[in-house]
Amino acid sequence: MKHALSLKIGPATFRIGSAWRQPVEALAALYADYPAPSVEVADFTVRLEPAGPLRRWLRPSIFITGDHGLADAAPMSLSHGLLAAEMGMNLQMALGWRRHLLLHASSVEKDGRALVMTGESGSGKSTLAAQLGERGWRLMGDEFALLDLATGMVFPFPRLVSLKNRAIDVLAAEVREDRMGPLLAGTAKGDIRHLVPNGDAIRRMDKGAMPALLLFPRFGHQTDVRAVGQGEVFMRLTQASTNYVALGEPGFDALTHFVRNVPARAIDFSSGEEAIALVERLWEEPA
Amino acid sequence: MPPRYCQDSPDAIAACVLEDMALLYHRPSGQTHMVISPVPEILAALDNGAALTAGEVHAELARLYDLGAAEEAVPLVEAHLAELAALGLVRLA
Amino acid sequence: MSAPLLVRSLRDPGSVATLDAQGWNALIAAARAERLIGTLAFRIGKRTVPGAVRPILDDARLDADREARQALWEADRAAEALAGLDMPVVLLKGTAYAAAGLRAGQGRFIGDLDILVPREAMDPVEQALLHAGWEWVKDDPYDDAYYRQWMHELPPMIHAGRDRMIDVHHTVLPLTARQTPDAAAMIADAVPITNELCMLSPEDRICHAAAHLLADGDLAGGLRNLWDIYCLLDGVDAAALDERAARHGLRPHVRQAKRLAAALYGKGARLTAWDRIVAARLLARDGWGRERRKLLRFAFYLRSHWLRMPPAMLARHLFTKWRKGHRPV
Repeated sequence: MKHALSLKIGPATFRIGSAWRQPVEALAALYADYPAPSVEVADFTVRLEPAGPLRRWLRPSIFITGDHGLADAAPMSLSHGLLAAEMGMNLQMALGWRRHLLLHASSVEKDGRALVMTGESGSGKSTLAAQLGERGWRLMGDEFALLDLATGMVFPFPRLVSLKNRAIDVLAAEVREDRMGPLLAGTAKGDIRHLVPNGDAIRRMDKGAMPALLLFPRFGHQTDVRAVGQGEVFMRLTQASTNYVALGEPGFDALTHFVRNVPARAIDFSSGEEAIALVERLWEEPA
Repeated sequence: MPPRYCQDSPDAIAACVLEDMALLYHRPSGQTHMVISPVPEILAALDNGAALTAGEVHAELARLYDLGAAEEAVPLVEAHLAELAALGLVRLA
Repeated sequence: MSAPLLVRSLRDPGSVATLDAQGWNALIAAARAERLIGTLAFRIGKRTVPGAVRPILDDARLDADREARQALWEADRAAEALAGLDMPVVLLKGTAYAAAGLRAGQGRFIGDLDILVPREAMDPVEQALLHAGWEWVKDDPYDDAYYRQWMHELPPMIHAGRDRMIDVHHTVLPLTARQTPDAAAMIADAVPITNELCMLSPEDRICHAAAHLLADGDLAGGLRNLWDIYCLLDGVDAAALDERAARHGLRPHVRQAKRLAAALYGKGARLTAWDRIVAARLLARDGWGRERRKLLRFAFYLRSHWLRMPPAMLARHLFTKWRKGHRPV
């Protein structure tokens, strides 16, 4: 394709092709500090194509596809090209990755142990992970946690953090301006700005950690902490995994091992500061 | 004749016990089933490979557990067996 | 173009030794797009490949293994659901190849479960499947009527608990097609795989695959169908096949499929002008896995509908589809 770029994020390499220059340039700028892929054979191909024969020039709109794609994916405006590229990579991981159990979860690490947070979009897991990543924790990822099938360790997938709406200002106040991507206004999910993970997160993106705590955060409720039964944890994690069924029995073994060994809590909070204090307290509590 | 049920094959199911339930991974279908008592016990009663009726499964279980009156318990066992057969976890012999 | 590279690698897996990184990227993208990545992985086997390629091929093998297992389970469930009807359940396509351990099934992508049943049994089959947990996929009355009136199958059904589709065919081409394969003869001559399941005879397997490839479709995904045919031809008597194809009115299709299979995957063949156009359509994919030659593809889309339907019906069908936002490209 006319414009192309290769990226390595955690264990996965991507070859991204685009009919337009802008999305590739935006990616190159924000992923500038990531190590270049050491081999050029990519795990996945992502394609940003014109949504119709004339849509390369006329009201350009992007159809996101690649090795794996959704036939009915809605096209996106070229001004949201960076988001389209990120979604394209996420799509490949969600549909095609088989080397770990993929959990739709954020994760951070401290003292060699990982905290995994999962919940619906809007639960605050992404913002919370990004904030912890600026306060002494290592950000492992805001979207996917990769559970190793043999060792039970969690591995990072530290792509750009996708900050939405109110979370944008919260993080913009904490990090240097050059770590923030352009404002993408009016996307299907509202305003979005990407945050480049800090140097520690990028340098150690191949380093896994044993999971020590699982949280189900929920933003917008009065502070509360509840235990969650193993059966419910198992059910919620299968729903949060895009490849549990595809992995078959190794996925079953890895997930049951996780559920039986990692303590789980549901936490409610009404502000970021409250959530951070809660996480730090739970982290210090003996399991 | 009441229907007889048997296991599909001895290694068709991988089981994992959690605090509040058991998980069954069914190898031929790749499906995971979440079950609670008495389903694991019913499956265990078929472990020796025999084809049993609901009454015989009940008799087997009654040796180990207190199931209450047979006239109430046997239809329950029968319903569970029919459900398990529909899922493919046991077969009609 | 990467489809010729894919074809070469399937024909001669040793040839991948010469690929550079760009070559591998093109090959993998084409193989995924044509749903032949599992077959490719199987063909390459344990040959030395670059370190980054090995896990991609291993993943593809695992996916194919799981698909075969699930396909066999679906066949088992369908057989159980239809056990009371006292009729043969004939597996078609990928599930049949996997169940019988045929070479065409090695690493093959398997989508829906396809079965062939006698036309007069369609109603009881439909009832038995509904009773066993399958449901209609679409509730669009236009599509439903279209399927029932003109197609060679029930509207697709999906099993609510397992999320898997079944296509129940009573013949192998739509009723509107010009060729009329003898489905009753196909069922009568089916061969057993297990106690409950059978598949078409070796000759009929090829007739069916050729009909599917050349008389029924717009050739999308055709490289995989042609690979099936290439594998199925192995060991089949040419004269018996020709005779059987004639009986089904499919002789030109089977002969063309043989030429194309030999040209692309085998020792080569002399191609006609029309063969070359079909081959160009089959090979229209670039190094990013994109389909090329849009005009040629659209021509085949129109052709595939023209083959199946009288022109006025076609116009009506396309209009109804387009109004709902469906596009052929």
